[in-house]
Amino acid sequence: MLGPEIIFLSDLIAIFAVYLIINLSLNLEFGFAGVPNFGKVLSVAAGAFIVGIIPFYMYGMILDIQGDPVHDNIDVISQINSHLTIHPELGFLVFGVTVVIALAAGALLGLVSSYPAIRLRGDYLAITLLAFGEIIRIIGINHTDLVGGTLGVSIPDVLSFVPNEFRFLIISIILLGFAGVVYLLVSRFTNAPVGRLMRAMRDDEVAIQALGRNTRQIKIKILMVGGMIGALGGLLYASYVESVVAFGYTRLNWTFLPFVMVIVGGMANNKGVLVGTLLFVVVRKLIVYYNDSLSWLVPFNIIWLDYLALGGIMIIVLLYRPNGILPEKPKKI
Amino acid sequence: MIILYDGIIYACVLAVLCVGLTLTYKITRVPNFAHVSFAILGMYVALVAIQIFDANPYTALPFAFAASGALSLFLYYGIIRVLQNKKSSYLSVIIATLAFDIFMIGVLNIIADYITNEHQITSRDFTLRSFDYIIYDTPMIFIASIVILIVLVVGLYYLLYKTNFGIRMRAAIEDRELASIHGINTNKIFCISWFLSGGLGGIAGVLMALWFQGDPSLAAYMLPSVFAGSIVGGFTSIYGAIIGGLIIGISEIIGTNILADVFGYWITPYRPLIPFLFIILTLLLSPKGISEIITKVRER
Repeated sequence: MLGPEIIFLSDLIAIFAVYLIINLSLNLEFGFAGVPNFGKVLSVAAGAFIVGIIPFYMYGMILDIQGDPVHDNIDVISQINSHLTIHPELGFLVFGVTVVIALAAGALLGLVSSYPAIRLRGDYLAITLLAFGEIIRIIGINHTDLVGGTLGVSIPDVLSFVPNEFRFLIISIILLGFAGVVYLLVSRFTNAPVGRLMRAMRDDEVAIQALGRNTRQIKIKILMVGGMIGALGGLLYASYVESVVAFGYTRLNWTFLPFVMVIVGGMANNKGVLVGTLLFVVVRKLIVYYNDSLSWLVPFNIIWLDYLALGGIMIIVLLYRPNGILPEKPKKI
Repeated sequence: MIILYDGIIYACVLAVLCVGLTLTYKITRVPNFAHVSFAILGMYVALVAIQIFDANPYTALPFAFAASGALSLFLYYGIIRVLQNKKSSYLSVIIATLAFDIFMIGVLNIIADYITNEHQITSRDFTLRSFDYIIYDTPMIFIASIVILIVLVVGLYYLLYKTNFGIRMRAAIEDRELASIHGINTNKIFCISWFLSGGLGGIAGVLMALWFQGDPSLAAYMLPSVFAGSIVGGFTSIYGAIIGGLIIGISEIIGTNILADVFGYWITPYRPLIPFLFIILTLLLSPKGISEIITKVRER
C-alpha cells in the first residue's frame, strides 16, 4: 500500500497536469490571440461528456454487455472492467478513438464559440461565452440519458489491468506525460511565425488587417485549437476521476480558475502559466487537505477560504502586478 | 394565482437589478459581473434584521440599501477606479468584477455559516415569506414590489431629468472630460451612481428574500437573467432595462409554466436556458435591444 504522502503527491501531479493542459489552451486563446474565452468550461465539459458517452457505445458494440450504461451503471462498469483486466489492448483502442472524437468535438465547439468571438467585442462577447459554458452544464444536469444527470456516471477504467495500489501513481505519470507533450506543442506553436501573428493581432487588429492578414480566420483557427486542447484536458480529468458528473463543470472551476492561473502566472508566457498553475494547484490542495485540522480555528467551513483566496489574489494581481509573476518577454527575431 | 405572484415579483426583482446593472454600465462602461452579489447581501441583511432583531420586514429595506450600496462603492472606489486610472484594458476590469463575484461567494457563505453557528437560524435555502403581511388576501410583498418598481421609475425620471444632479450625471455620461472641464466633479457622480446601483441591488435582495428562497448560490444562478434583461433593454437605457427585466422575469416563470403545460413537466428544469435564448435572439435580431426598436418606431 502507498503512504498518504505519495497519494497526496500523485493527486497533486494529476490535477496539475489537467490544469496545465487547460491553461495552456486558454493562454493560447486569451494570452496570445487576445480572445477572452469566458466559455472555457464549454470545451472542457465536452471532453468529459464524450468520455462519459462514447466508450459505452463502443464497448457495447464490441463486447456482450447487459444493461443500460446510465441506469445500470455500476453493473455495466464491472462487466467492462473485468474484460479490460484480461484484454488491456481493447481499452487502449477505445481510449484512442475517444480521444480523437473528443478532439473533434472540441474543435467543433471552438468553431461555434468563434461565431460570436469574431462578431462581438468586449462585454457582449464575455456574457455570450459565459452563457455558452452554462448551457452545456444545464443540459448535462437535466438530460439524464446523456451523462446520468445529477448523479453522473462512472466510466470504465482503461488501467483496470494495473494493480489497484499503483493505479493512481501510474495515471498521474501518464497525465504528466500528456501535459508535457501539450506544453511542447503549444510552445512550438507560439514560437513559430503564427505565434508572432497572434500577438500582433492581439496588439493591433486593424494594423494586421491592413497588412493583408485575415484576422477572422486566425481567430477561428485559434479557438478551434484551443477547444481541442481544452477537450483533451476535460477528457483526461474525467478519466482520472473515473466518473463524469455534470454538476462539477462549473464556470468557477473550469473558466475562472484557469483565468486566475494564467493571469497570475503571466499572460502570453508559457513558463508563467506553468508557474501559475503549480502555485494555485498546490494552494488549493493544501486548503482542502487541512480542512479538517484547521476547522476549529474559524466559525465557518474552510472551503470558503478558497473562494476568498482566489478572488482576492486575482484582484491584488490585477491591481499591483497586472503582467503576472513571469511577464511576457519580447521575442528576438 | 401563485404562479402570477411568482412571476410578477421575480420580474420586479429582475427589473430593479437590471436598472442597477445598466446604470453602472452606462456611466462607467463596466459590465459588473458581481452585481447579483449585492442582492444576496441584501437578502442576508433582511434575514438578520427579521430573524435576529425581530424587525418589521420592510425596515430591512434602508439597511439593505446602505449595506449593498457601501459594498458597491467599495468595488468601484477601491478596485475599478484604480484599474481605470491605471489605464488597464476593459478586460482586466471585467475580470476584476468576476473575481469580486468569486470573493463575495466566499464572504456570503462565511456570513451564512456564521449566522447558523451563532444563532441557530437556517441560513441556506431560507425563506422569510411567513414574516410577510397579508392584505386583502394578497401578500404585501406582491404590492410592495410593484410599488417599489413604480417609485423607481418615477424617482429615476425625477433624478435624471429634473434635478441639478441628474443633469450633471447625464453630462458626465455623454462626455467625461468635457463635463469635468465645466467644473463637474465626475468622480463624485460616478461614486454616487455606483452606490445607487448597489443599493438598488440590496433592495431587490430584500424583495427576493420575502417571497423566494435565499441562498448564496443564487448569485451564479441569477446573473445570466440580469444580463439578459439588460441586453434585451439595450444596456444603455434605464427604461429599456426595466422593460427587459420584466420580460425576462415573466417569461422565465410564467413562460416556463405555459411551456410545461404544453410540452410536459420535463421542460421546467431547462428554465435557465430562457435568458440565454433571449441574449442570442437580441444579439441576432436587434443588437441594441428594445431602445433600438423604440427609436425605430418613433422615427416612422
